[in-house]
Amino acid sequence: MDAGTMKMLAAALAIGLGALGPSIAIGILGFGAMQALGRNPEARGPIGTNMILAIAMAEAIAIYALIVAIILAMIA
Amino acid sequence: MSGKRYLGCSFPVLAGIVILMLILLLVGFLAGPVGSKMVLAVGKLFNESFTLPPWLSALSAISVDKPHPTLPPEAVFHIGSFPITNTVIAAWLTVIVLVLLTYFATRRMKLVPRGIQKLIEYAIDSLLSLCNSIAGEKNGRRFLPVVATIFLFVLFNAWLSLLPGFGSITVTGHEGHAVHLLRGANTDINMPLALAIVSFIAVEFYGVKLLGSRLYLSKFLNFGRFFQGMRHLFTGKMKSGISEVFSGVIDIFVGILEAFSELIRLVSFTFRLFGNMTAGEILLLIVVFLAPWVIVEIFFVLEIFIGLIQALIFSTLTLVFLTMATSHGNAESEHGED
Repeated sequence: MDAGTMKMLAAALAIGLGALGPSIAIGILGFGAMQALGRNPEARGPIGTNMILAIAMAEAIAIYALIVAIILAMIA
Repeated sequence: MSGKRYLGCSFPVLAGIVILMLILLLVGFLAGPVGSKMVLAVGKLFNESFTLPPWLSALSAISVDKPHPTLPPEAVFHIGSFPITNTVIAAWLTVIVLVLLTYFATRRMKLVPRGIQKLIEYAIDSLLSLCNSIAGEKNGRRFLPVVATIFLFVLFNAWLSLLPGFGSITVTGHEGHAVHLLRGANTDINMPLALAIVSFIAVEFYGVKLLGSRLYLSKFLNFGRFFQGMRHLFTGKMKSGISEVFSGVIDIFVGILEAFSELIRLVSFTFRLFGNMTAGEILLLIVVFLAPWVIVEIFFVLEIFIGLIQALIFSTLTLVFLTMATSHGNAESEHGED
């Protein structure tokens, strides 16, 4: 397998496996937020704000993986 | 007929617009690289010597060419030996837009605001209520300048980079090949790094200023219990001495970890903003290349939303870390008094 093929394989694996964890994390966060919203619909403001904050922190990890994949596929 | 109006237009006008958009969508998709190859493959099934109809090949010829994104920004010109990159020019544009917006908001101010003054007052009021809700009444107003600057700068950088002109105007760079004149400032890794350094220095500065340097630095250099344990050992109380020495070692380790986590925040802030903005820019380029003309509008809406969210995240996280840095001592002392 030459370097070009390996690079494409590496880019696909990087973003594919790298997006597994954050997506599960975002799902768990959404689940918790929906549960909290169901128990206490009046606390919609703080629940929503904190959920968006936590989701962005989890999404940052997926973005790191995406950067690695972009560098592999397009730059190097 | 007068009657129900959909989005401000009567029903025939709306139907006409929707049909026009669908036609543009279909023709655009067929003219792009994916669509034209599909047309060729399907045509060759029925007729061996099938070529694209002339109107389709003409449209393909004027379609978008394959994008070549580069992560480091390209220099447009040099001042002496200092390269001025296209992201720096875009950042200057953002600063000019912000200054002009706030300048014109403060001309002929009224008690009940109208126009631009109402917009700027709404923005500053929302930011102040965000600061007050997270940092408390006392420190909210004090943290507002840093948080609002970071928020507005990141937001306008992200939103201005969606306007036409960014990535289309090309000039001849200093090496001779064509270079884009403007590129979103958040896609240059130096700008998020600069903002992360600003936020880091602000957190340390306010921590030292509001807590006192001794109390604030005791979070990182936690030698108190270790030396207390040594004192106990030397004055003969062996059991309490050894336990306090061990707790002291753990305290020192935790302090080093806290200092390290402060520094890691620089990396995570930088890559979160840079990654989101660069991935969004490359997504737009690729979608415009694959299916020209209409489908990209959906992704523009996504990019607007992501720009707002990233600005909010950066400034809210800075605010949260500022609050944690300036209230840590109070929380500890409260626990200590129990």
